[in-house]
Amino acid sequence: MATRIPTTLACLLLATAAQAEDLTIATATGDVTVASGPETIAVLDAAAIDTISALGVTVNAVPAMPPLPYLSDVFEAAQPAGSLFEPDFEALAVLGPDLIIAGGRSSTQVESLSEIAPAIDMTIWGEDMIAQAQDRIAAYGAIFEQEAMAAELSAALDARLADAVAAVEGQGEALILLTNGGNVSAYGDDSRFGWLHSALNLPEAYPDLTEETHGEAVSFEFIAEVNPDWILVIDRAAAIGQDGEAAAATLDNPLVASTTAAQNGHIIYLSSAPLYLAGGGVQSMMLTMDEIIAGFAD
Amino acid sequence: MALRLGIILALAALVVTSLSIGAASLWSGDFDAAWLIAVSRFPRTAAALLTGAGLALAGVIMQQSVQNRLVEPGLTGTPEAATLGLLAVTLIAPGTAIFGKMTIAAASALAGTFGFLALSRFVPRHDPMLLPLVGIIYGGILGAIGLWFAWNADLLQFVGIAMLGDFSGVMQGRYELLWIIAALSGVLFLVADRITILGLGEDYARSLGLNYFQTQMLGLVIVAITVAVVVVTVGSMPFVGLIVPNLISRWRGDNIRANLWVVALTGAALVLASDILGRVVRYPYEIPAATIFAVFGAAVFLWLLYAPPRRKPQLDGDRRKPQLDGDRKGPQNG
Repeated sequence: MATRIPTTLACLLLATAAQAEDLTIATATGDVTVASGPETIAVLDAAAIDTISALGVTVNAVPAMPPLPYLSDVFEAAQPAGSLFEPDFEALAVLGPDLIIAGGRSSTQVESLSEIAPAIDMTIWGEDMIAQAQDRIAAYGAIFEQEAMAAELSAALDARLADAVAAVEGQGEALILLTNGGNVSAYGDDSRFGWLHSALNLPEAYPDLTEETHGEAVSFEFIAEVNPDWILVIDRAAAIGQDGEAAAATLDNPLVASTTAAQNGHIIYLSSAPLYLAGGGVQSMMLTMDEIIAGFAD
Repeated sequence: MALRLGIILALAALVVTSLSIGAASLWSGDFDAAWLIAVSRFPRTAAALLTGAGLALAGVIMQQSVQNRLVEPGLTGTPEAATLGLLAVTLIAPGTAIFGKMTIAAASALAGTFGFLALSRFVPRHDPMLLPLVGIIYGGILGAIGLWFAWNADLLQFVGIAMLGDFSGVMQGRYELLWIIAALSGVLFLVADRITILGLGEDYARSLGLNYFQTQMLGLVIVAITVAVVVVTVGSMPFVGLIVPNLISRWRGDNIRANLWVVALTGAALVLASDILGRVVRYPYEIPAATIFAVFGAAVFLWLLYAPPRRKPQLDGDRRKPQLDGDRKGPQNG
């Protein structure tokens, strides 16, 4: 019953707050009216769990998903609610949440979920990820009556972004690569990782890369031909073993070694789980930007 | 004669094309052309040739061993078993060197192939479609087990990509294990006659003095190692082992000793052609060779099933022996 204690505490805290009122917030599917101060919540998207827990709000139910080390306490304290793609409707019905927050991989289930409780789609996808992330922070701040905390988070994200923009300015062009076993795909500025180019004003080494959820499969010859000044690496297979280790083995070859990036030691291995699974979450974005600031400072 | 010359000329043309096409420009002066060929183009070309030849030969052995022309290593759970081994070693000891991974994948591929062989003894032989179906189900079960582990470890896309034969990651230092296939092919040429006899069925083979079990084991070990090496280095390539031996058998009959080199060269040429096409279609991005080959292979497979036979096989053998190019017109007559 250890999991009950934080829930009870949250209930007590919320009970002292103002009476629930209806408010209108921006979601991925347009403006939606929800009641503020929900006591029990189920959150089915990693980016949403990331931002909501950063606001100090207890999440009562989460989907089973690959581990995100920085959110492990949140996941341990919450009940399981199915998988990222397939919510466990029975468990959710038993939980009886006041609000269900879906997004990304669970966004297709919003309609069915809304039969259990008010459900909103808080997907973060496509252009201007930072603005979307800021919108979500504001919306969650309003819903959970944590406006002050939300303003603080917002300001922190902006400050970190400014640092990151300053860190990459004038340092040359970058290529985002995702490694998966021995294969490599490249991502452009309108991909899921595109905000690393657009928000940070980091020029693309190969501007023709087009919108593709899973990137473009490329050969090592392509990397050598593009010859980027910087290479940002996301290791898809890093769920096992250490982040970056397998990716480094994949990229350790004469063709990659011939690039400007490799010769100047400008290959940055990003922590893949936050970026890949919780992209758009405020803690995830701050973590990624920290890694970029550190990488470009060397 | 014309066929031999044609295959050799086509193969030579493909090799030259493969050496000159790639994402990096050979003549722009950015790279030393000889260096680029040595590091990237030659390994990639050699890998495609070895993979194609190895899988086509493995198809011949498999078809002779179970006396069914519709069976290939891809339909006997062999790649799924190899992937299962690869997955296990990735989960248990991610840092294992490639040779260690290969050995474990080969061992589990061998175990998987034996499992199919054990199953095949219980499958009635009157309908040639039954055995491949059993193989598909068996492979599906093994694949599902792998999928379950992969799902739990967040390795689904890793498996998806490992299973899809693709030469884009091939370069110097990444493909050398494939030369094992060249050595295995050498062994295969030495025992080609025995493999032919294997195709006559256990009773015939034994009466001809063949150590049936030993020969079958030797053949299957070659198949398992070939498939494991291919899965570990480039991923699985469906259809190669199915359509190449059938195409050649249709043209040249069933004398395996005479056919082996044609089978090997044709398999090599077709896989290399798929890889070249995959490099060109969305230049400078890549489409996996397995995807290209699957499209081509499916078309050829349908043609093989429904086209009228060109000539009767030289070795008719056991009447129970299912044949694609015998007197049957299609699977519905089975």
